[in-house]
Amino acid sequence: MVTWNDLWLFALPALVCWTVAALLSLRGGKRGYVYLLTICGLLIFGSYIGLMWISLERPPMRTMGETRLWYSFFLPLVGLITYSRWQYRWILSFSTLLSAVFLCINILKPEIHSKEMMPALQSPWFAPHVIIYMFAYATTGVATLMALWQLFRKQDQLAAIDNLTRVGLSFLTIGMLFGALWAKEAWGTYWSWDPKETWAAATWFCYLIYVHLRKSRPAAITPALLWQVICFLCLQMCWWGINYLPSAQGISVHTYGS
Amino acid sequence: MTMGCLVCCGLVAVGMLLQLTTGPVRWDAMASPVNIIVLTVLLLGILTMHLCRGKVRLFRWMATLQAGIPAMVACAMLTVLMGVTRQVPSGHQPTEPFGISSMLTFWPFVLSYTWLVVLVGMVCMTRLLQPSWRNIPFLLNHLGLFIALVAGTLGNADMQDLRMVVQEGKTEWRAVDSKHRVLQMPIGIELHDFSMELHESSLAPKSFSSAVSVYTKRGVVVSDTIRVNKPLTVRGWKIYQYSYDEARGNESDISVFELVRDPWLPFVYIGIFMMLAGALSIFVCKKW
Repeated sequence: MVTWNDLWLFALPALVCWTVAALLSLRGGKRGYVYLLTICGLLIFGSYIGLMWISLERPPMRTMGETRLWYSFFLPLVGLITYSRWQYRWILSFSTLLSAVFLCINILKPEIHSKEMMPALQSPWFAPHVIIYMFAYATTGVATLMALWQLFRKQDQLAAIDNLTRVGLSFLTIGMLFGALWAKEAWGTYWSWDPKETWAAATWFCYLIYVHLRKSRPAAITPALLWQVICFLCLQMCWWGINYLPSAQGISVHTYGS
Repeated sequence: MTMGCLVCCGLVAVGMLLQLTTGPVRWDAMASPVNIIVLTVLLLGILTMHLCRGKVRLFRWMATLQAGIPAMVACAMLTVLMGVTRQVPSGHQPTEPFGISSMLTFWPFVLSYTWLVVLVGMVCMTRLLQPSWRNIPFLLNHLGLFIALVAGTLGNADMQDLRMVVQEGKTEWRAVDSKHRVLQMPIGIELHDFSMELHESSLAPKSFSSAVSVYTKRGVVVSDTIRVNKPLTVRGWKIYQYSYDEARGNESDISVFELVRDPWLPFVYIGIFMMLAGALSIFVCKKW
């Protein structure tokens, strides 16, 4: 029987694999080893999720801690896909770091593992909706950091920023549509314009504008970089800013967690 | 881009005038058959403009990024405005003279989104009429958005969203709409048993469910259990577990169901799945 107490037994070797793979790719080492190590880590960590699934006798997706497990699992996976697609050397370091943060929360804060979610959130849509959004937030976050870097240091990063924004936008789209499908399934409406959804729509438009602006005016670099920062500010509003927004108090279905 | 910005400013100005003279947009007037007529006019309009693009510069311009980007900016700005103003619940009158507290019935908002949809329609038409494999990701994204937005908006007035309160042991054939009108339904629900599971620690509800039989005039259609996130579909009606007698909690002998019918749903789903495929296509296609 596998329990939460055994998490570190699996998490530690997996993290070691991912870290070594991340360092190797950062140094420009052999791609074969990078793939092998990352997949090794994924198998180790995936088997923990699988064993938890068996011992809980249900998919481990119901509590906050359980969804974080999937998050820690998917981050290196999507990192690896992005790496294989665009060969960014740093992407695995980034995904490993984020994955490690969520693993640490799960290992160090065992008391929240059994925190139950309210009935409306107990849906198979919950984990993918949140995981995909989190990954979108992560990639667009990196894009913004690179945009700021280029604004102040004048190093050309635009190709990478564009690619990350497109990946981020496509994940934002998927997360948003999963949310719509889930809402239709659970509440009968795809889109009810609650404050979180309104800001998600605004954020989505902002990134759409960025992508189209790059196509329309490829030479307008500084405006594009500044717009990238505005997009990210909008995203922050959507992510946590609305918790402090007077117009959104007490009416959002997305404030369950707090 | 200047032209695009002017058009958007014009739309907002016209919208403001309409708002002040005719009041908020009345979406309930869009119910069938008006929505079918509007859809036909929209599609024929887009086709006509596309076919006349050789003669009219404006129509050619409408399928360009120079027209599209300002339209997106206008929609983004109005959506942000919606995000920072407190919105009244749907169906209520706005609380201030301009109408921005009910953004979905605010004319400038509706006109800006309509403009964007028309532009997306124009650009889809251009690509549709010159078929090529390379256009597929583009069409999945743009046509998907067009279909989802148009079907979702036009179909909204045809969507019925009713509440039905059923007593344990009784069969109910009446439901209440959002304006508290009582309607006779083509389906009836008999509630056998309402039950609730509680969290052991907090005694907060963990899940609640109703064992029901659903009837049409001809007899029993189905007997099943409806719970949160597990609706039941009967004759085009989706029946959701909505609420219960909260004062009595676990002892509640009534169950409240939400009954939804949405005839445009398949089209919205087609649009959504096209957009999903379009979003995934970035991992397959090398070129943007």
